[in-house]
Amino acid sequence: MANTAKTRSGFGAWLLDPKRRGALLVAPAITILFVMNIFPLMWSFGLSFFNYKASSLKVPTFKGFDNYGKVLTDERVWERFQTTAIIVSSSVIMQLIIGFLMAMMFAKVFPLRRIVLMLVLTPMMLSFVSVGVFFKLFYEPTFGIVSFVLNFFTEERFVLLGSPEGAILGIVIADAWMWSPFVMLLVLAGLVSVPKYLYEAAEIDRASKWRTFWTITFPYIKSLLLLAVLFRTIETFKLFDVVYIITDGGPGSTTETIAVYLYRTAFQFFKTSQSSALAYIVLFIVIVLTNLYLYAVNRREEEVE
Amino acid sequence: MKLRKVIKGIIAVSVLATGMSVAPVLAADITITMAAPDWPPTRFMKEHFDKSYTSPAGHTTTLDMDFIPWPSFYERVAASLTSGEQKYQMIVTDSQWLGAFVEGGYYMNLTDKIAADPELTAILQDLHPALVSAYSTYPHKTRAQLEEIGEVPAPGVAYYGFPQFPDTYVTFYRQDIFCHEGEMAAFQNKYGTNLPCSYEDWQDTDWTKWGQVGEFFRRAKGDLLAGVALDDDFYGIAYQAGKGYDFSTMQTNAFIWQQGGDIWDESKMPTAQAEGVVNSDVAVKAFDEYLSYLQYMPPVSQTGQMDIFVIQDLFMQGKVGAIIDWVGLGEPVLDPSASKVHDKSAFGPAPGSRKNDGSIDRTGNIGGQPFVLTTWNEDEVVDEALNVVKWWLNSETQLEAVSNGGQSGLMSVMADPSYNGLRPWNRAHVEMIDWQKDVWHIPEFFELLTQQQEEFDKAITGQISAKEALDAVAEFQQELLEEGDYIE
Repeated sequence: MANTAKTRSGFGAWLLDPKRRGALLVAPAITILFVMNIFPLMWSFGLSFFNYKASSLKVPTFKGFDNYGKVLTDERVWERFQTTAIIVSSSVIMQLIIGFLMAMMFAKVFPLRRIVLMLVLTPMMLSFVSVGVFFKLFYEPTFGIVSFVLNFFTEERFVLLGSPEGAILGIVIADAWMWSPFVMLLVLAGLVSVPKYLYEAAEIDRASKWRTFWTITFPYIKSLLLLAVLFRTIETFKLFDVVYIITDGGPGSTTETIAVYLYRTAFQFFKTSQSSALAYIVLFIVIVLTNLYLYAVNRREEEVE
Repeated sequence: MKLRKVIKGIIAVSVLATGMSVAPVLAADITITMAAPDWPPTRFMKEHFDKSYTSPAGHTTTLDMDFIPWPSFYERVAASLTSGEQKYQMIVTDSQWLGAFVEGGYYMNLTDKIAADPELTAILQDLHPALVSAYSTYPHKTRAQLEEIGEVPAPGVAYYGFPQFPDTYVTFYRQDIFCHEGEMAAFQNKYGTNLPCSYEDWQDTDWTKWGQVGEFFRRAKGDLLAGVALDDDFYGIAYQAGKGYDFSTMQTNAFIWQQGGDIWDESKMPTAQAEGVVNSDVAVKAFDEYLSYLQYMPPVSQTGQMDIFVIQDLFMQGKVGAIIDWVGLGEPVLDPSASKVHDKSAFGPAPGSRKNDGSIDRTGNIGGQPFVLTTWNEDEVVDEALNVVKWWLNSETQLEAVSNGGQSGLMSVMADPSYNGLRPWNRAHVEMIDWQKDVWHIPEFFELLTQQQEEFDKAITGQISAKEALDAVAEFQQELLEEGDYIE
């Protein structure tokens, strides 16, 4: 009895004081976050102001904003940004169109709908590497299925990845195949949230299909569509695996995205400081896009309320 | 006096006994972790080590091979080294990486160890000089520079690696179609020269004939090939033309060197220039010739993705008549479970450029890998790793390795009368090894290589001309090398 009645004293009591208990509970998470995320971020930010190369024993010297200047005036970086923009815009548009059409289809009830829906969602659950390898094999002109099928009609081998336009298209198709189901899910969530009585009222008013869509359906899905655009833009902006596997940035460097270039600079050329500077520029762009995304999320919440 | 003598005797015996018990190296459990590409030559090394290695120092030694797939090999090794994890005691490395990782302080300078160990010195003296030049020296010394010095090990030269697998590229060809009487007669009729069938025929094959072979064997589905109707399109020739890693540079360098052109020559730093050399008229003409044969190759050549593994696969699937590929990729071709042409394949030297005197220049870019030691190991681990080097490079192990699809860089082993018969490509390998040179070894090699591969890829996919590609390469190299103080 005496033991159980004993009150804690000293450091233990101070530590377990209810005032500090909350801080104590979150401390491990904060520590891990600091060690794994915040510290490396700060470290790499610091590195971006030096001329450090991970593969060199030379003592790094402070270079101020030199690396940022070098990156921003490098033609190759701007070329990669342009390539990224082309791939992002083409892929996101394709995902929106396909995702939207699929959502319209799945909003209706038809036999085996659940099974088909499950199958349609599968690409989204695959790893990027698998998707990259699949499509690389699909596009292979000698053995690939795309060339094989087209060969029946043209009697010639189909070489999709032989031109910059074809290679970009190949990447866009792979990315859209993988992520259109995601857009579909978002849009479908909007579609099923439309009260049925609104459609019944429109039917009574003999509203046209377009009018029904524009005045009833679209207002319910537009913020979700915006969410899909922003989310997919952010993700596609960082596209690496699929490009690296399908084209390796080729032909030449015409499909090399900024993420692939960043990887090369950091881990193949070992320009550690320069790649850190480029990474922070990319991070800045992603933060801007993320803020837009959060703004869209907030608007959606306000609308729902 | 007697007592003194007895005491002295006891002391002497005690000291001797103590000394004897301390003098031998204490046996220890040693694990050598080695980064290795995942393919037959390294797999065999591991298997054979487990079966046959006995530590001369009495240690219990484990060779723990970290098998890494080829496509990510460089990145994985580089990431491990630069992260400071100090995981590996030995590394199978491409020769081009020497500069980057020696300058980074990761690869151990073995010069003093070699000089102090007669066995290692003997191995170095027995190695083919092209391999010593490419695989071991940094700063890079050419074979000619080493031969001029004469001594092995050469004074003033730093040595880092020993060959794990010395590789050269040779011709893989379909004997059933190249030696088919009807095809031979048709070829003779069309081009006025013989279709290469025997090894000796391939010794006399230059690039012109290589192009003729490509044109001759380009057949469409339904055409006859060696008297049999084809169920798919067939292509005459293939060589590497891929954008990844060095999958076009290795072949284009051969064309450029053979025709008297050059790449930026690091052994002549700081006077050697890039501009005017890399894009010289000779180099442009050679690169143009390289591009001209792509029309006879499978359509994947138009995508810039025809790397060494793709051409190996095309050959094994029976889609191509002849390819030029690394010896290291020969073993699967003979495997009945993987290759449709396992019983039809033969091997010869790679084609070359015909000189005015009628001889053929086959200068090529060396392949294969040395292994190196890392810098953070304790003395007993270093000594044991060097024992592993000696074990691998003794003639018995080397002959065993060669019998199982490996290759040897030891001249005494290559001179063994049984050598050429051990594997079907050995004769070609021995002939080709004498022609080998290497690409750059400076730390910036990957940047040079990546930009060059991009420009070559543009030319391969028909976006730019050979001259435009080489001009862009020369300009980039000149700027980068001047910035790095490699060019004055």
